Amino acid sequence: MGMNDFWKLCIKNKSVTVPAIIIVSIMLLAVFAPMITQYDETRQDLLMRLVPPQSGHIFGTDELGRDVFTRILYGTRISLSIALFPTAIAVAVGTALGILSAYFGKWADFAIMRLADIMLSIPGMLLAMVVLYTFGGSLSSVYIALVLMEWGSVARVTRAAAEGILENDYVLAARAMGVRGYAIIFRHILPNLIPSIIVLFTVNIPSSILAESALSFLGIGIQPPKVSLGLMAGTSKQFLFQMPWLSLAPAGMIMLLSLSFNFLGDALRDVLDPKRRAV
Amino acid sequence: MMAGLVRRLSGVVLVLIGVMLLIFVMLRIIPGDPASVLLNEHVSPATIEKLTESMGLNKSLPEQFWDYLKGVLKGDFGESYYLHQSVNALMTEAFPYTIRLACMAAAFAWCFGIFSGIISVIRYERLLDYLFRGLSLLGISVPIFMVALFLQYLLYYRWSLVPLTYDGSIFSLILPAVVLGWDSAGSIARLTRSGLIEQMGEPYIDTAKAKGLIHAKAVWTHALRNAILPVITMMALQLSGMLSGAVITESIFGIPGLGRLALTAIQTRDMPLLQGTVLFSAFLIALGNMAADIINTLLDPRRRWG
Amino acid sequence: MKKRSIALMLATVLAVTGLFGCGASSGSKGDLAGKTANESSDDDSTLRLAISTDIVSMDAHRTTNDYLVPMNVFDTLFAIRKNDDGSTEIVNSLADSYEISDDGLVYRFTLKDGVVFSDGTPLTAEDVKFTFERILTLPESAQTDFVIAIDGAQELLDGEAESLRGIEVEDDLHFTVTLAEPFAGFLSQLAAPSTVIYSKKIVTDAGDDFGSVPEKTLGTGPYIVKEWKRGSGLVFEYNPLYWGEEPSAKRVEVSVMEPQAMNMAFQKGDLDIIDCLFLDAAVIDSTYKTDAYKDSLVSVDRMGLNYFMLNENAEPLNDVRVRRAIQMAIDRQSILDSIYSGDGKLEDGVYPTGCIGYSEENQGWLSYDPEGAKALLKEAGYGDGFDMEIDVDSSATDAATNTIQIIAQNLSDAGIRANINTIDHASWLDLRNSGDMSSYLALWILDFNDPDNILYTFFGSNENTVIRSNHYPDSEVIARVGAARAIVDEEQRMEEYAALEKKLVQDDAVWVPMFSLKHLFVKSSRVESFTPQWAGWSDIYFTGVVLK
Repeated sequence: MGMNDFWKLCIKNKSVTVPAIIIVSIMLLAVFAPMITQYDETRQDLLMRLVPPQSGHIFGTDELGRDVFTRILYGTRISLSIALFPTAIAVAVGTALGILSAYFGKWADFAIMRLADIMLSIPGMLLAMVVLYTFGGSLSSVYIALVLMEWGSVARVTRAAAEGILENDYVLAARAMGVRGYAIIFRHILPNLIPSIIVLFTVNIPSSILAESALSFLGIGIQPPKVSLGLMAGTSKQFLFQMPWLSLAPAGMIMLLSLSFNFLGDALRDVLDPKRRAV
Repeated sequence: MMAGLVRRLSGVVLVLIGVMLLIFVMLRIIPGDPASVLLNEHVSPATIEKLTESMGLNKSLPEQFWDYLKGVLKGDFGESYYLHQSVNALMTEAFPYTIRLACMAAAFAWCFGIFSGIISVIRYERLLDYLFRGLSLLGISVPIFMVALFLQYLLYYRWSLVPLTYDGSIFSLILPAVVLGWDSAGSIARLTRSGLIEQMGEPYIDTAKAKGLIHAKAVWTHALRNAILPVITMMALQLSGMLSGAVITESIFGIPGLGRLALTAIQTRDMPLLQGTVLFSAFLIALGNMAADIINTLLDPRRRWG
Repeated sequence: MKKRSIALMLATVLAVTGLFGCGASSGSKGDLAGKTANESSDDDSTLRLAISTDIVSMDAHRTTNDYLVPMNVFDTLFAIRKNDDGSTEIVNSLADSYEISDDGLVYRFTLKDGVVFSDGTPLTAEDVKFTFERILTLPESAQTDFVIAIDGAQELLDGEAESLRGIEVEDDLHFTVTLAEPFAGFLSQLAAPSTVIYSKKIVTDAGDDFGSVPEKTLGTGPYIVKEWKRGSGLVFEYNPLYWGEEPSAKRVEVSVMEPQAMNMAFQKGDLDIIDCLFLDAAVIDSTYKTDAYKDSLVSVDRMGLNYFMLNENAEPLNDVRVRRAIQMAIDRQSILDSIYSGDGKLEDGVYPTGCIGYSEENQGWLSYDPEGAKALLKEAGYGDGFDMEIDVDSSATDAATNTIQIIAQNLSDAGIRANINTIDHASWLDLRNSGDMSSYLALWILDFNDPDNILYTFFGSNENTVIRSNHYPDSEVIARVGAARAIVDEEQRMEEYAALEKKLVQDDAVWVPMFSLKHLFVKSSRVESFTPQWAGWSDIYFTGVVLK
């Protein structure tokens, strides 16, 4: 399926557009946070601690009197950046290595795939913890951890897909005619892979969001005064039953984001796979 | 077949050595000094130096790695800096808890996942389908610790059905197992469902229907058998996810397993212990992958060893 | 078909191994212990407690955090008793009596007769000597400060001697200790859990298992460790060979729990005492400072100082005016009120309330004055403010993390841009010990009730000021701190300590003294009375709990 067909099918499909619209609106909220809220995400007001939801503070305030709604907007910024950037890098790196592996075969294939095996045989959480402890609990270490966690499986999938493409008659013909290297990769393999790459990207995003929240829960992810959704949900666990707005609001946002991306990923996959569409 | 097995095994060994090297190097660029963690408030530089020397940390990196590799080949993972026990002993102590938890979580995930996947197809695009799909999507969309806290509140605090944390009995492992198995159950359900739907489109199902088999039976006997293949592969691969999740589940429920041990090791810069737990987890995962491979190859006549 | 059956077999084998793994281990120790734990929980003499993180060692020489086992399984030569008026006194424990020579150098001790370890090994003076020598020779010993006052201790620590010259064993029950110079805090040190007495025979036989394996970690104290599951908790049982009075709780179960879990468990009646230190003040206010729990609250003054340390080794913190401005810029009362719901007291010095040497005269001089702080900064040439870093240990309590965020805001109001840098515990300690940490918030709780404990730790030597990332430059004052411990006349000693306190905190603004806090506990209806540890530690003596 070419890119144009893919887009057309996507736009027509409601199970693609609805989650996509939700995601885009959340992104807009996060990007334009300073215009939406009058508060500063770190500004404390010790006289307004743990105020329940009310006008002025629609999600109430936290243990230092900061507006929870404001913090969710800013937290979404960081959580979205964690969801998008490392996943994009992991998909790019994974795809590149996967294609190289499939195209060159032999020792390159062996080296790249063993490297992927090594990454994939370390439980993700342990790998992330090692990275975070090595580089400290900063935003960039969370990025590094997530890239390391995700590129391996992407490389495996794209390698398999690229191998399939290489076996196509027209590619074999092109190679037999002496078309080599970049031409094959950029003219034949990559364009055909793009839809699957988009799906891979989408389905990896929720796992990035959840991984960040797990790390923040363990106290080794994003560190205050920075704020992420996972950190908000994690630090407010004590108040879950007495002041539920503190953890339910960020947890709800995490859920909304991952659900939307999951739905989007599913729908995109359906669009790609005609057999499933037929059912 | 033997040749294939040997090749696969040598691949596993290669990967494990790679894991060892990677973790070893990564842990050595960490800024914290293990000696200074051991010595807390009352400490003098002379003591730190003495301890660093006794830990062998003053040797060069290749020397340290060589020492470690020699030990591992002999089956000795070294001694924990902090707990003053051999890493082997600590892991042997912790392993049964984690494997028990993982077994129960897997059992829950498989039963619930496959069951809800089947129901979803039988009641395709009806209420039950949506309900189970929603549940499984929830499983992979909510942070695992939120699930744990919520279930603790509901099942322990409100309804007094289960113990709050692990108290040594199998009974108290049910809640942690459900929490740990939750997202696996979600993925299995989704995979079963999509696999079944794919199979329903195959011509042999139509043949079966033509023969007069009722819809539900057709699903059970024919489609399930073929749809289950990728699910089995996935089960083995989920071991990795389980060991990841165990870090959080075990720390919430106070289970003295491998995940807990790894967390302690990282927090205390206990390099031998961390190396041991990561390597051991990698070993388990490699075994799981191999088992998945073997089962898959045997079940799928189209695939060959290679 | 053949291949399928092989596959099926394989799958079955895997499943069975899994089940067998479950079954085998469930049938073994763990499950039985679990059952007995469940059954005995209903027993009237079982005390159920919770801690937030598991201990890492049961060996007092290898930890400065985890005193739960040393305090309950072992005994010290002396003990501290807290009187109703808040003062403390030293009483005999394993020591039956002692005499001090006139020059304050030689202590002659007599041990209680008939004391045995929980395996029946009798306690002798040789064990005391062994214990003190072990503190000095164990490579990872964390307690050397506690016996360094003994003559010859430094040589043994440096590896220049074979044995500890200052201890002389006369017979099984009698021994003398000679100090290098007089030190009034020595008996207090012998009452701290850091100096619990070990058996030479038990420790030597156990080797590396001592402190790690419960059956091999035996003491003379009221309890034995029945079980320790790492990451899960400990079970203690009454030691029938204990020489002292039989405690009310015959069995103590300590579980590792997250704070919100402790809260639920306590309210469900599954815990007997909850340590409010782990809960947020808002939760305590709304749940426990209520009519329902009013009579169950147990409060003790934590004999400890929360301080905000400033490193003087770099600009601009090396300027005393800048440090004084920071002292004035922090709104300590607001922090105390909002984060700790006012359960504490502002401190303006070095020695916290209740500590011997606490001086009323050195209190009350420091008040919140943001305008004054700005003026001082301007005078120092930092009218536009400056950037500084506050290093935070990621394993710090939520309350401490919140306090630091308020401090950062206070500082930014005065024009100082404070950047909070959160690092994990190990790196944090490493950075602090290297002397390069810019500033940090911490708490010092007394190990023994003497001003020397806190003053010497921070300012006793140039080395100590580096380890605390403080770099206090005045070597004359440092020498005075070292000399003060040897002043024999008590009144003179206290005068010197008060003078040093004034010099350090008021004149040189060495740190920002914050506050001392109350430590709240809530006891369940099963507990008749509960006496926390005298200094308000989270670790408690189980003997202080009387069950109904």
